[in-house]
Amino acid sequence: MGKRGPTPEGFRRIPTWEVAKQPAERPKKPATPKLASQKTLHGLGLVQVPDEEKVRVAIERLGEQIRQRRSYMMAMETCVKCGLCMENCHTFLGTRDPDDSPVGRADLIRKVWKRYFTVQGRLFGKLVGAEDLTLETINKWLAYFYHCTECRRCGHVCPFGIDTCEITMLGRQVLYWLGMVPALHADSDWAIHRLGNNMALTKSGAVDTVEFLMDEIEEERGFRPEFPVDKPDSDIVYVPSSADFMLNPDTLKGAALFFDYIGANWTITSRMIEAGNFGYLSDQYRTQRELVTRLLESAQQLGAKKIVWGECGHGWRAAKQYIRTMADVNPVWHIPIVHIHDEIASYIVTNQLELDPSRITQPVTLHDPCNYARACGHVENMRIIMRACVSDFREMYPNGEKNFCCGGGSGVLFDDEEMYPMRIKFSQKKAEQIRETGVGDGPEPGILCAPCSICKAQFYPMVEEHELNVEVKGLIDLVGKALVFRGKERTNNANKH
Amino acid sequence: MPFIEVAGKKLEVDEDGFIQDPSQWDEEVAKYLAKVEQVDELTEDHWKVVLYLKDYYEKHGIAPMIRKLCKDTGFSLKQIYELFPTGPAKGACKIAGLPKPTGCV
Repeated sequence: MGKRGPTPEGFRRIPTWEVAKQPAERPKKPATPKLASQKTLHGLGLVQVPDEEKVRVAIERLGEQIRQRRSYMMAMETCVKCGLCMENCHTFLGTRDPDDSPVGRADLIRKVWKRYFTVQGRLFGKLVGAEDLTLETINKWLAYFYHCTECRRCGHVCPFGIDTCEITMLGRQVLYWLGMVPALHADSDWAIHRLGNNMALTKSGAVDTVEFLMDEIEEERGFRPEFPVDKPDSDIVYVPSSADFMLNPDTLKGAALFFDYIGANWTITSRMIEAGNFGYLSDQYRTQRELVTRLLESAQQLGAKKIVWGECGHGWRAAKQYIRTMADVNPVWHIPIVHIHDEIASYIVTNQLELDPSRITQPVTLHDPCNYARACGHVENMRIIMRACVSDFREMYPNGEKNFCCGGGSGVLFDDEEMYPMRIKFSQKKAEQIRETGVGDGPEPGILCAPCSICKAQFYPMVEEHELNVEVKGLIDLVGKALVFRGKERTNNANKH
Repeated sequence: MPFIEVAGKKLEVDEDGFIQDPSQWDEEVAKYLAKVEQVDELTEDHWKVVLYLKDYYEKHGIAPMIRKLCKDTGFSLKQIYELFPTGPAKGACKIAGLPKPTGCV
């Protein structure tokens, strides 16, 4: 959404293979996101640990966490520094900073682990790669763990299966306990505890927004679907993606059109109004837990039999993979959770939807959100939908579970002078991928389908920074347009989009 | 927490310069924040957007969807960006005294 900071000069046109020839170099001071205010921290029940205590507290927390979980221990002990993760990491490809690579980031913790928790580290220190923890290293944690977009491409390629993102998440959690949280994450966490959602949305605002959108559908198509909020005795609770209420109107409209088409008894719930979960990205202990619990409580309250998830990448992973073990509710309240793409795809393969791909003729490419492709096996269904809805679909390469991150993953959507230029670098690889598909080569803009709110929020400004000539859309936006409502919609307007 | 001083009044702002107490907002504050957000002079068109945002926030406790803002004020997104170079969410909302948007925006 417009320019927020300086663009790194001449960067956008340099392909990554050219960048790769540049020597790796550490900056004097890594770009660091702005920290949360005292007020927000107090709201979260956090007190910033004073500088002189930080090292002690960090070592304590780190030790607790690593001893508790074998996966951390394995990650600490097994890395052989083969470097495969580096060339597969979009941040390293964009910045050439060795600390900005998966192994580099993990080593910021690994060295400390060696120094304080292993015999050889305690005895031989630097000789075995162990290092004292200093305030400087903790500040590096803050910078580099919030450069990592938790995309897990490094975990996908690591020959030992080290999921380096788990380490950066561990680092983020320790920083949270130190009271070192970026403002964006802390403010969102606080909004979760105050209002139950990341964006501080109110029910009144949500109702006003969906009414406005249904009016739009009526103007465009000649009929008005229902968009129920807190409707009791609903079979389905739909959880729309967070920024849908602000930035992505067509995604909300697409969902309403789909539910109307299949005649579902559905609703959204004001207690869990959107799918994002910044707790998962900064504080998994309290904040993430708060939301997954809330979700099941509200579904129970409305008598729902199924939860359908909107187009949110990290929220989908946070719910799908963690709800069973994290939600503090009666076990019988656990009801099935499915993604809206899975729902739509199952209707398509059983031939229950009439979709007209000739309504969307611009070339379209698909960006696989990392939390779908590398965490939830959510790849093929998006293609089933895409092939049914558009007439010119072009894959970008690599794709699916090998796809590169948008560069804004895990809430790296900072827009201050230090971090905004980093986001342009982080999306460098992605821009190349999109350019290669040729979807933006025509006189009219092509479509970049990015079915996740963080991806969209990253792409809205990035497609301009990299001059890609594409519109950013969600996948259900396209479904909404392609759905044919026979005998219901105004046919002369059917082709309008 | 930093402070700004406008016409003899001391206002608390967050780390990005959004004012913390909406009740302290007035025309002078808007003019001051406009300068920060690269708007030299608040014209009638600017005020139309700013007052719309303010009014919507008072009613609903949240900023409106961008598309609704455009439709209700009659400006295209492009025009909004011409009016507020730093954008509707961070520029116009800040001038109108709304809090900073959080989450995936």
